[in-house]
Amino acid sequence: MLEAMESLDEDAKLMVRYRDGDADAFSTLYARHKGPLYRYLLRQVRNAGAAADLFQDVWSRLVATRSRYEARAKFATYLFHIAHNCTIDFFRRDLKMRRAARSDEAEHQAEPEVPEYQRPDGIAEFAEQQSALLAALGALPQEQREAFLLHEETGLTIEEIARVTDVGVETAKSRLRYAIRKLKKSLLPAEIPVRSYGRERLEQHAINGHARRIG
Amino acid sequence: MDTPDELDEYLRGDSALSRQYRKESAPTPPHALDRRVLGLSRPREPDAHGTAQRLTPCLAPLAFAASVLLSVALVLAIVFGPQTGKRVDDTPRLVRVAAHADASTNPPLDRRLQLYSSDPKLARAPSAWLADIAALRRAGRDSEADAELRRFRSAYPGYSIGDLAIRP
Repeated sequence: MLEAMESLDEDAKLMVRYRDGDADAFSTLYARHKGPLYRYLLRQVRNAGAAADLFQDVWSRLVATRSRYEARAKFATYLFHIAHNCTIDFFRRDLKMRRAARSDEAEHQAEPEVPEYQRPDGIAEFAEQQSALLAALGALPQEQREAFLLHEETGLTIEEIARVTDVGVETAKSRLRYAIRKLKKSLLPAEIPVRSYGRERLEQHAINGHARRIG
Repeated sequence: MDTPDELDEYLRGDSALSRQYRKESAPTPPHALDRRVLGLSRPREPDAHGTAQRLTPCLAPLAFAASVLLSVALVLAIVFGPQTGKRVDDTPRLVRVAAHADASTNPPLDRRLQLYSSDPKLARAPSAWLADIAALRRAGRDSEADAELRRFRSAYPGYSIGDLAIRP
């Protein structure tokens, strides 16, 4: 816990140094947070190109607003609050585009409505769909996915997740609870063979288990 | 069915779910993206060397054309310029005439009218004109001196002319 506090203070101090003109402090901050932020964005929007754009947008906003930074909270909450806002903007833009395209789709008897970032070409870029856990994560509602990612990638507490996502603590807690429940199901042994082993091996596995129990 | 204990266990970070998530691939931003973001963070400083390098390609032909133009203009000025065949006395004639006429440095209006008038009588006093012609002779510009002398005689037919103005 003490280590966490020291780390917290160090990131905030780095950001203050950057605010005051020390460009090298930014490099250290960037190296520490680039991975978690990139994965948060990539697994939220599930499109590599969109994630890269958002990633750059988040850091650009951080750079542009650095003069107003005050070390009042954990730096990660500051950074991921920006990321949350950028992601929300992205989903809103995507929704508008889909609504605008809806009339065209109706005219041309289009396929069922699928978000732009979930269409086959977009998913093809997102090369993480092999694992059951990540597939289940991708299937979560966006708010639940976000709560899970914020905790896993940054170690934020429920209260910090609530602050980042602009909701109450109970709402954040509820989202995380639902996310955990659904994701745990993806780890259950009964579901894994269907995806990765195939039905024949699953049946063989069941036969062997039955034989062992009899033996 | 989840319980508060399960959530607490998960939040402590030692749940099977967290362990499994950490085993997943951990993609990081491409290096090009790293460079772009780190470039954004640096204040934009004027880079004289870089600016010169960027400008060189477009300025080089312009500089060459300017050099050629300047050289040609210089050669033309030397070959065909008004000062070709330079004489010993470079002073403009009007200035010389004014100097020989004992004029003050800032002559009065009627005097300036004399100097710049198209009427030969108004333009020059006879003595100054003759001094001018004599100066042309001394400089070896006899044809000009003859022409001036002819004009002088037509302007002042009865005026006594000294040897210096007449003699070649």
